[in-house]
Amino acid sequence: MTKMTKTSEQDLDIVSEMNMAQSSRRNFFRKAAVYSASAVAATSILSPVKLSAEDDSAIIHHKKWGTTLGDPVTKNHYGIPSPYEHNNTRRTTALLASGDNYASISMCPIHEQEGIITPNGLFFNRSHGGVAHVDPKDYRLMIHGLLEKPLLLTLDELKRYPSVTRIHFIECPANGGPEWRGPQFNSIQFAKGMMSSAEWTGVLIKDLIADLGLKKEALWMLAEGCDNSEMGRTVPVEKVLDDAMIVWAQNGEALRPEQGYPVRLMLPGWEGNLQVKWLKRLEFSKEPFYAKEETAKYTVLTPSGKAIQHFYPLEVNSIITSPCPEKPWTDLKKGDLVEIQGLAWSGQGTIKHVDITFDGGVNWKEVSLKGLVLPKSWTRFSYMYRYEGKPLLLASRAVDDSGHVQPTIDQETAVVGVEAVYHRNSICTWEVTDKGVVNNVHVRS
Amino acid sequence: MFMLDHKKIISTAMIASAIFFGTAHAGEQAIDGGAIYKVKDGMYTSYAVNTQDKKDFKYGKVPSKTEIAAWDIDVMPDGTGLPEGKGSVERGDELYEVKCGMCHGDFGSGGQGSRSTYPTLSVGSASTETLTNQRNVPDADGPKRAIGTYWPQASTLFWYIQSGMPFPHPKSLSNDDTYALVAYILSINEIEIDGETLDDEYVLDREKFLKIKMPNVDGFIPNIDGPEGPANVKKFLNDPKNYGNGTRCMKDCIDPKVNIVRIKVEINAFEPPMSVERTMKEEKVTGKVHPGQKLYEASCSVCHATDAMGAPNLGNKDAWASVLEKGIDKVYANGINGINAMPPKGGAIDLTEAQFKSAVDYMIKNSK
Repeated sequence: MTKMTKTSEQDLDIVSEMNMAQSSRRNFFRKAAVYSASAVAATSILSPVKLSAEDDSAIIHHKKWGTTLGDPVTKNHYGIPSPYEHNNTRRTTALLASGDNYASISMCPIHEQEGIITPNGLFFNRSHGGVAHVDPKDYRLMIHGLLEKPLLLTLDELKRYPSVTRIHFIECPANGGPEWRGPQFNSIQFAKGMMSSAEWTGVLIKDLIADLGLKKEALWMLAEGCDNSEMGRTVPVEKVLDDAMIVWAQNGEALRPEQGYPVRLMLPGWEGNLQVKWLKRLEFSKEPFYAKEETAKYTVLTPSGKAIQHFYPLEVNSIITSPCPEKPWTDLKKGDLVEIQGLAWSGQGTIKHVDITFDGGVNWKEVSLKGLVLPKSWTRFSYMYRYEGKPLLLASRAVDDSGHVQPTIDQETAVVGVEAVYHRNSICTWEVTDKGVVNNVHVRS
Repeated sequence: MFMLDHKKIISTAMIASAIFFGTAHAGEQAIDGGAIYKVKDGMYTSYAVNTQDKKDFKYGKVPSKTEIAAWDIDVMPDGTGLPEGKGSVERGDELYEVKCGMCHGDFGSGGQGSRSTYPTLSVGSASTETLTNQRNVPDADGPKRAIGTYWPQASTLFWYIQSGMPFPHPKSLSNDDTYALVAYILSINEIEIDGETLDDEYVLDREKFLKIKMPNVDGFIPNIDGPEGPANVKKFLNDPKNYGNGTRCMKDCIDPKVNIVRIKVEINAFEPPMSVERTMKEEKVTGKVHPGQKLYEASCSVCHATDAMGAPNLGNKDAWASVLEKGIDKVYANGINGINAMPPKGGAIDLTEAQFKSAVDYMIKNSK
């Protein structure tokens, strides 16, 4: 009984079956023998005679998940991530809250992000008066103003319109905004996590209003939310008639409350705050509305003392996500082949090129894009690198198809200064030390 | 020879513009300075498209005039949407003390201490001269962006106060109260209307409101007003020199002796703390939820989560011990009637007395 092999266990099973009809007393002894054999087998059945130190105990020993039943399918009717993934989560910091956690922001863990779709529970969350919980039965969308026919829709009626599905990022124009005057966060999640990306489904507004007789003099559209802050923004009609959408789904399911359930505006490539959540009203007008979030905030103050208003698009941008401060190269050995990868995006078009530098921007080389390359969408880039264990100043630079090139910090601040708060898209540099530690630095000439 | 050069110049210019607007629709400019994409052969970029007619939908109904009026409460710079009403600076001051000061500070000076990120409403002056300040050298003063120094239109103030404020209980101010608060805020920003200083007795009404000229009205580019507004925006955003553009240099782009700026004071107070470990989370012991917890979170935490305006904050044993010296009945009564910066029931007038007490009990229980 001390060394039980797989064969001997099977033999015992067979013997046990053959003797089923025999006396219960004999049966009892045989069963007992099987059970005790199994008990021993659970730890040693696959064990060779001798374990060596190099043998991986994760392989040699059976694991609990292989020797017990898993969860029944009745558990978690709506699935949740593995409990081992609890650190892949949104995070907050008091510095970025407007006094409390209601008019505030939580950052997306882009260091853990794979591909170009952010899981719905990890999508960054910015609201101006808390996350509203709207009862879909009492949801109404009102479209009025300079139209021949105003329209009021319930949610079910809205969802009867023909839908399109598009992949777009959403970025807060304050992404990277705390770092105009120098690096502050040794973290990609906090340096660049005010953005996420999803596949959105809804109706193009040009299809929705095709029957409503938009008047010629209508130049602007107010989009207003029904949340605590009644967040509103003025949108030029030209965008409305191009690719603007009203969306109700995100990655195949209803919008999350944090993303404006049941309905939000989607203006591909434009500032996150323009993609008004909990959307209740669209009003067409001749003149702009001067909403609070397009005057007091979300305006870019330049050194001339004049502030840029109605600065809609997020300009071409990129960042290396691997390595990054959270995901350093401290485990690499000299000579290891490693993939450098990252995200590039532009609200003004489609990513055309990404270049990377190892010396802080003296010399650059073009790298591969990978995966889907879509307009106004995150785009992955990739470069295979032979790790040498020497210090690097690693950075990426993106170019889009509308001719915009991601600027250096010097190039950007020369035009807009350091008090802009919003629309910071200059090149992000990681300092990689000889130990593989990664630090957020700024490179200035 | 001249012809040849001329041609060369033209073709160079064309190449430049083709590069700049190098999209499917060269020459056509998007309002945001970006590329324009059109449906072609059933495809919109990489997306396939159903190109059947999408018109003649009969869903929904025409909203009634009353329904439109109920929601169409925005106020535009020309006065569209501005209701009749009136309020004095003095009345505004009283309202401000009760409903606004706990977050925005005395005289709109902004949140203090742990609430220092609450917006500053006034820097005590309507001068726009600090807006050219740049903090690009140590100890430099930054630009002061408050209502008087920065906001271009007073209409925004009326609209936003009435629809979005007070923060925990928006849409609760009457037209008269909103006029009074606007008058008070303009007065602390030292803004004059039609040459008149806004002293305590000053009464703001619709007629006077329409005469307000904000000091920074011309402080914004591009000009968005009038029939050329969108065209101005398009022109502005189509010139990246207005907001900065890079150059695609590949070799010897900058001096190899680069200046590396490192983090001086690292900010890493994150919630939850940063970690990329993949280990099982320790189970939290979860007890029964106190009936006052939800009420606290909805109505009290805006002030009591921190020490806003002297509000004893949740978990502060000393602050609550000293409050409780008066006895629990006095604590209830003070809260229900209001005390110091705290309005009656903290402004949560909808709470019953029992609910209010339950929220207080929750705070006390969690501050022992």
